[in-house]
Amino acid sequence: MSTASLVPLPIVLPLFGAALSVVLGRSRVAQRAISLAVLAAMAVVSVALLVEADREGHVVQVAGGWSAPLGIALVVDRLAGIMLVVSTIVLLAVMIYAVGQGSQDQERVSFHPLYLVLAAGVSASFITGDLFNLFVAFEMMLAASYVLITLGGRPDQVRSGMTYVVISLVASTLFISVLALLYAATGTVNMADLSVRLAEVDPGLRAAFSVMLLVVFGIKAGLFPLFFWLPDSYPTAPGPVTAIFAGLLTKVGVYAIIRTQLLMFDTPEWLGTTLLWVAGSTMVVGVLGAIAQDDMKRILAFHIISQIGYMILGLGLLTVAGIAAAVFYVIHHIIVKTTLFLVAGLVDRRAGTSRLSEMGGLVRSAPVIAALFAVPALSLAGLPPFSGFLAKFALVDAGLDADRWVIVAVSLAVGLFTLFSMTKIWAGVFWGERDSEPTRAPLVGGRLGSPVWMVIATGGLVAASLAFSIWAGPLHELSLRAAADLMDPARYVDAVLGGRP
Amino acid sequence: MFPLLILHVVLGAVVVALGDRLGRRAFAVAAIAPAATLAWLIPQLGGIVDGDPVTSSISWVSGLDLALELRADAFSAVMLLLVSVIGLAVCAYALGYFGAGKAGVGRLAGLMTIFAGSMSGLVLSDHLLSLFVFWELTSVTSYLLIGNDDTNPRARDAGLQALLITGSGGLVMLAGLVLLGQSAGTYRLSELVASPPAGAVSTTALMLVLIGAFTKSAQWPFSSWLPGAMVAPTPISTYLHAATMVKAGVYLVARLAPVFATTAGWRPVVLAVGSVTMIVGGWRALRQVDLKVLLAHGTVSQLGFMMILVGAGTYGLAQAAVVVLLAHGAFKAALFMVVGVIDHQTHTRDIRRLAGFGPGWGSVKVTAVLAAASMAGVPPLLGFIAKEKALLSAIDGHFIGAWWVVAAIVVGSVLTFSYSARFVLGVFGRLTDESAVDAEHPLVGPEVAVPSRAFTAPGLILAVFSLAAGLAPVLVDSLVAEATRSLHPEAKPKAVVLWAGFNSALALSVIVIAVGVVAALAGRRVEAAQTAFHRPVAKLPTADRSFWVLLQSVLRAAKRTTRIVQNGSLPIYLMVILGVSALAPIVPAATGLDELPVFADTWLHIPLAALIVAAAVGSTIVHRRIAAALMLGAAGYGMAGLYVVQGAPDLALTQFAIETLATVLFVLVLQVLPRTFTDRSAAVIAPVRIVVAAAVGVSVFVFSLAASQSRADVDQASISAEMLERSVPDGKGANVVNVILVDFRGLDTLGEITVLLVAGLGVVALARTVHRKRLETTSLVPSPVVDASARVLFASILALSIYFLFAGHNQPGGGFVGGLTAGAAISLLYIAGGNPAVRRLLPVRPWTVLGGGLLIAVVTAIVPILLGGAVLEHALFEAELPLLGKIKTTSALPFDIGVFLVVIGLVLMAYEAFGDDPEDSEDSAGSRAVVTS
Repeated sequence: MSTASLVPLPIVLPLFGAALSVVLGRSRVAQRAISLAVLAAMAVVSVALLVEADREGHVVQVAGGWSAPLGIALVVDRLAGIMLVVSTIVLLAVMIYAVGQGSQDQERVSFHPLYLVLAAGVSASFITGDLFNLFVAFEMMLAASYVLITLGGRPDQVRSGMTYVVISLVASTLFISVLALLYAATGTVNMADLSVRLAEVDPGLRAAFSVMLLVVFGIKAGLFPLFFWLPDSYPTAPGPVTAIFAGLLTKVGVYAIIRTQLLMFDTPEWLGTTLLWVAGSTMVVGVLGAIAQDDMKRILAFHIISQIGYMILGLGLLTVAGIAAAVFYVIHHIIVKTTLFLVAGLVDRRAGTSRLSEMGGLVRSAPVIAALFAVPALSLAGLPPFSGFLAKFALVDAGLDADRWVIVAVSLAVGLFTLFSMTKIWAGVFWGERDSEPTRAPLVGGRLGSPVWMVIATGGLVAASLAFSIWAGPLHELSLRAAADLMDPARYVDAVLGGRP
Repeated sequence: MFPLLILHVVLGAVVVALGDRLGRRAFAVAAIAPAATLAWLIPQLGGIVDGDPVTSSISWVSGLDLALELRADAFSAVMLLLVSVIGLAVCAYALGYFGAGKAGVGRLAGLMTIFAGSMSGLVLSDHLLSLFVFWELTSVTSYLLIGNDDTNPRARDAGLQALLITGSGGLVMLAGLVLLGQSAGTYRLSELVASPPAGAVSTTALMLVLIGAFTKSAQWPFSSWLPGAMVAPTPISTYLHAATMVKAGVYLVARLAPVFATTAGWRPVVLAVGSVTMIVGGWRALRQVDLKVLLAHGTVSQLGFMMILVGAGTYGLAQAAVVVLLAHGAFKAALFMVVGVIDHQTHTRDIRRLAGFGPGWGSVKVTAVLAAASMAGVPPLLGFIAKEKALLSAIDGHFIGAWWVVAAIVVGSVLTFSYSARFVLGVFGRLTDESAVDAEHPLVGPEVAVPSRAFTAPGLILAVFSLAAGLAPVLVDSLVAEATRSLHPEAKPKAVVLWAGFNSALALSVIVIAVGVVAALAGRRVEAAQTAFHRPVAKLPTADRSFWVLLQSVLRAAKRTTRIVQNGSLPIYLMVILGVSALAPIVPAATGLDELPVFADTWLHIPLAALIVAAAVGSTIVHRRIAAALMLGAAGYGMAGLYVVQGAPDLALTQFAIETLATVLFVLVLQVLPRTFTDRSAAVIAPVRIVVAAAVGVSVFVFSLAASQSRADVDQASISAEMLERSVPDGKGANVVNVILVDFRGLDTLGEITVLLVAGLGVVALARTVHRKRLETTSLVPSPVVDASARVLFASILALSIYFLFAGHNQPGGGFVGGLTAGAAISLLYIAGGNPAVRRLLPVRPWTVLGGGLLIAVVTAIVPILLGGAVLEHALFEAELPLLGKIKTTSALPFDIGVFLVVIGLVLMAYEAFGDDPEDSEDSAGSRAVVTS
């Protein structure tokens, strides 16, 4: 079996697991075993694929044994490989955390299959080389997320879930419309083929497609001014679900933006400038939202937004260094953001609330949680020697190198506010004393003060972000190679279409 | 060197982790780190003083030129000596300072160790970026140390202020460092200094770097955080905020000044900031009644002094700066320790309440006098030598502004002498003030308990060092000379001596001391003069107040912005998104438009289009939910009609089946909802909604026209042509729609049936949240006649659906249509007898049908991979069966069966969830497991 035959596995393995999990819904033990086994297998496969993609450039399989563009091309290049590895690691860690938590929300019969479908959707988004299939991948991911976000069944969850579902459906409608128009204009939905054919289309129309795809994925990614729904929806979902949404889903949007813009369009200068404006506004509005909040999860949710701005900044520079920095940033961010939400879950459990004004003193009563928070928080704020510093430094370096001084200044200022909001959480949660009684009774248990597997899963991700810092050199080189591929779409097109025009 | 830094971090982490288990012994453990630094440094010192630096480096992110490069030259060694010797002294001192049961001491000791490691890394870094890494680490550890007494809001605020001011300076500095590195082509300090870049970019870069250095070294106007930081325990203040961390900015300026001092703007900025800081700090120190805060302002003043010396960029002043660094480290640490001892024994630091101490306090008094004398620049202490050297070099300095420097030093020194005197007089109880004394705050005097010798010894040792080094400057001379040379390689530093002969510097010193003595004698009058001066000045905002006002206004602005942006209204969010999607593409798309197209190919299009438009518009107008649902169904039928006209019976069949089933399900669900819509979109007024809707419509219309015309302009064969061509020979099916669904684009179908599965799970989850109570049975009294006929009909429709399933590959049909047809059959059963009837005829769990269907489909996708093919690659099977004859089928069939089952499963789930007599599928599937888990 060649490595190419591994390509579809990150999609079909979790689907297999999901189906089995539904059939065996009566046994919680079986469901847990299936989820963990499938996610672990996905992680192994993803690593193998990344290694192969880094050696070969692109690993391609066309579904059904057809050739592209007739069949659906599945392509793992360096970027897709990186995304697969990072996302499966995070998915596995959050699953361990959820199993460790073992409370009602996560233990509904449908949690495990839905989670696996989500995993399949995320993987498919990264792997697919076909725009319609990308739509289907998004639908898998979104459909699962619709149910997961309301899984707790609390009225506020259903209400904020409603916002999420409606906005996502609008985005999907826009996506499918653009897709139809693209097919009308070019007669194909294969992305490599589109790359070739769009080049011959009228430049105005091409720009319209480019902008529309940016809008469609921008809603998902949380770009200004399309993100307003996000901080209202994410924080109310059950803990592990929020963590995975925050860590992964918006980044799937960012991935789709990077992939489609760089592969299918010629990315003129004005697009780069537009992206930088969008990036700057996203960062600023996001971080202002964050410092205005009094709720740990809401602060973190607003930071998703501001951090997305950084990634788009990297893309907007339209240089190899900039895109490499964006890729580098995405890796760091997925890990750190997920970790922070997992910590927020631990805090919520331990303090019985996630409002800063209602808690305090956890540095004394729960030092383990404090330590688990400190590392990703400093990292998110971009302080050395943690991963966030390296990622931000890569962006600053690329930005100054491209003479984009203003956006660099903005990003540094936003970094200061990020630091401020992290100290707000630190001072509110870990320092001081509790001023008022929490809404729910705090849960204390286990030798570490929290369920052991929750702590292990969170600690594992903290370790992963530290590993990112330590092996940042090779990772950055990998990002550079990925960015070089992205800036030269002909390589992708050749790999998918081969000799065909 | 790296093992040394790692030792600090690991040791610090261990001590933090042990928490309060070690008690104050944590500081004994923490002392291992500075001891190790000394143990490493002392053997190397000989070589370093001979001009032979020790280097070590680790590459980190080579693509970003990011590396950790360390280089211990003599100047670094001076700093490292400060860090380690004072670190050791502070650890010893802390053992006496902290009571046995004090909480949080372990954290302090551990964080202080990590800080010591960062500070050592900072002064050893030979790479701008690794310097920055350590720089920021010292800021963070400083934040955590200042705020360690976390239940005290003043501690938290002070920590925050320190972090934000030094942090913002750090970020500005980062930009400067990157620009500097980019324009120089290297981040290595030693290379940068050897071949400095020039030009506008590097000038800007230097100014940015200076801002970072000023914030860190508490230069005016960024000095407000340092007095605030005095809320930290005295050992911490001694170490971080007097002896080491605050000198980081001075250190960096010292490294850069030798080559950049002549850059435009450098000297004016550095000398102005330094002298203002020195004078303002001294002035403020003179007004304090809290001994510790007095010292803090004194530190600010001294930092200004050092900034002038290092910033001027001449080797003479640099040499003076090295001596000041050593002298200040010793006397300021000793003075802080004195204050800590007093505070510890008397619980006050207010000089108005100190009435002098008894005989047992001799060593404290000696320490105070010696250290203060060194600070005041009185011979024969090291402080005197440092100041003399500075004055002499400034007088000899051949640069514009040299006389300014002389003047600033003289004025600053007078103030320094005065507040030093105030400190000593305060400690000796000569400044008591009845107005500050009351029952709760009594005078404290000779009756106070005598501090232990171990507690006072560290301060005394440092004070004695000030005297010894003053009397015998040869102790430090060679190190100072080499440190000067490591900053200025061309320097020819003169020896550091106590007696340099009668010269102008000595004359100035005499004047300084004379004025200082007069001022001290006329203490009360000076105070009165200060008060008079401050009455008008008090109205001006201080830097400290400005900081908090700024922070509050940023927070207010953030709240306001967020309230506007994040108003929580879904209709507004939608309007924004739709507005953007309408406006973004329309202009570029319109440019691709050249002519209006033919709007209708046949007359049949017109009524169908009218139906769709009317139904769509109608659904937004009507008030009753059921009407809206029916309108949607009508629009769907219109679409299906279009498919028929365009010659796609399969699509039409599927669409009809979906619309029918969807309408039935709507009716089912609408039972539990209010009859009419409640208007929740009042947040967006109707005209706005209409405008946005129209804009979206126009945009899509223009876009569609432009897109469809594009094909006419550029001839590009659609992929569908190839699908039609290859359907029969390669797809083994005459029904191309089905071949597309199960083969060409089977992966899409796999995804879509997964979505159906999720929808099934979601229906159950949502239904549970909507109503747990059973629905009232509406009509469903089973009648034998209806029941029997329903059974017959059910059987025949089910048979049809199975026919659709199997014939689908070649004739209209397929798993999807088949499943929908079977769904219709189930609907019929439900209408006849409710869920019991459904369950009687289909005695399987909906979960099993749903999951089983997906399972079959996925297995069909996976098996080819295991056989070495592509996912979902189909194989042709031919078999000779009895009775049926020759059967020819492809592996697409099981895939289609999976599709079929998933669709049926979804319908069953919907009835289970929303129908009457809903058996809670969730509980029936998982109740046992919940109990056991």
